[in-house]
Amino acid sequence: MDDQNLPDDETLVRLTQSGDTRAFDLLWQKYSPRVYSLIYNMTSNHEDANDLLLEVFAKAYRSINGFRGKSSFYTWIHAIAVNMTINFVKKRGRRFQMSLDDIDANVQNDKEFIELTATNTPVREVDLSELQHRLNEAMMKLSVEHRAVVTMFDIQGMAHAEIAKILGVPEATVRSRLFYAHRQLQNYLEEFRKK
Amino acid sequence: MMLDEQQLQKLLRLKRFEQPPPGYFDRTLTEFHRRQRQELLRRSAFQIWSERLTSGLWSFRVPRYAYGAAFGAFLVAATIVGSGVWAPTRDAEDTNSSLTSVASTPAALEVSSNKLALSGNLDWSKFDHSSASPRVVPVLRPSQTALPRYVLDGKPVSFEASFSF
Repeated sequence: MDDQNLPDDETLVRLTQSGDTRAFDLLWQKYSPRVYSLIYNMTSNHEDANDLLLEVFAKAYRSINGFRGKSSFYTWIHAIAVNMTINFVKKRGRRFQMSLDDIDANVQNDKEFIELTATNTPVREVDLSELQHRLNEAMMKLSVEHRAVVTMFDIQGMAHAEIAKILGVPEATVRSRLFYAHRQLQNYLEEFRKK
Repeated sequence: MMLDEQQLQKLLRLKRFEQPPPGYFDRTLTEFHRRQRQELLRRSAFQIWSERLTSGLWSFRVPRYAYGAAFGAFLVAATIVGSGVWAPTRDAEDTNSSLTSVASTPAALEVSSNKLALSGNLDWSKFDHSSASPRVVPVLRPSQTALPRYVLDGKPVSFEASFSF
C-alpha cells in the first residue's frame, strides 16, 4: 500500500490500541525508513541500526496503550528512537565500526543526487565517496546529542520546532547545537581537505 | 577555502541516499513479527500485565502547574508553622499532662523513691517489669530558672601548661 493511501496515524494508533496488529504493520511501513535513517546516521553502523530499529518498534508496540495523542505518532516514535539510540551509543562508548557508508548505486541517477553533485562544490573537487566517508567519520566525532540534531535537521529535513519537541529541549538549544555541530564538521572536513 | 554552511548542508543531504538495500524493511518486518512471537512465548502473563500497568502509569502526566501549586502549599504551611500562628502544641501538652499523671501514680512514686536507694541496699524485687507498669518518659524542656552564664578569661583545662605549678 502506498503511503498516501494509508489511513491517518490517529486511526492506525487507535486500531493498534484495540488490538489490530495489521494497523501497527502499516505504521511500521510508514515510519521504519525514517526511523532507520535516524538511527543509522546516529550510529553509523548497519547492524546496530537494524537491532535498534526492531527494539524501538517493539517498545513502541508495548507502550502504544500509553500513547494519548498529545503529540503526533511521528514525534513520539522519533523521541523513542532518539532516546534509545543515545543510551545505546553512550553504553557502547567509542568502539564503533562504520558499515554502510556507500551510496546506493541506484541513486546515482536520482535527480536530487545529480543536482547536488553536478554543481561546482567541494564534492566535485575531491573524490565523492572519500568525502562521504570522511563526513561519516566527522559525524562520529560529534557528541551523540549534536549528531542527533544534525541528522534530524540536515539529513531528514525536520524543522527546529519539531526537533525541539522530540528532544524535549527549547528551540534555542537546537539552534545552538546545530551551530556548534556545523562548525565542528567544517573544521574536521577542512583538515581532511588540507591533507 | 573552508566549506561554507551551504556546501556543508549539501554534503550532509547526500547522506539521505545511504539506504539499506531494497526489500530490507519488508524482511525486517518479518523479523519483527518473529521476535514478537518469541517474546510472547517467553514472557509470563504477569510480566505482560505489569509492563502494561507500568506504561499506563507513565502515560499519566502531572500538569506543570501542579508542581507550582504543591510548592506554594508547602511554603504556606511552612510559613504558618514557622511563624507560630499554629503549632502542634496540643499534643505536647497532652504528653506533659499524661507524664505528670504517670509520674504521680503510686508505682511511679515508688520507683522515684527507690532512685535514692541506688547507692544503698536496693531491693530489686520491688520493681515490677511487667508491661502494665507505667513508664516515665523523659521530656527535655528549657529551664525557666537558668540564667545565662559567662566565662571570662577562661581557658580550657587541656590548654594549661603542665609545668604551671
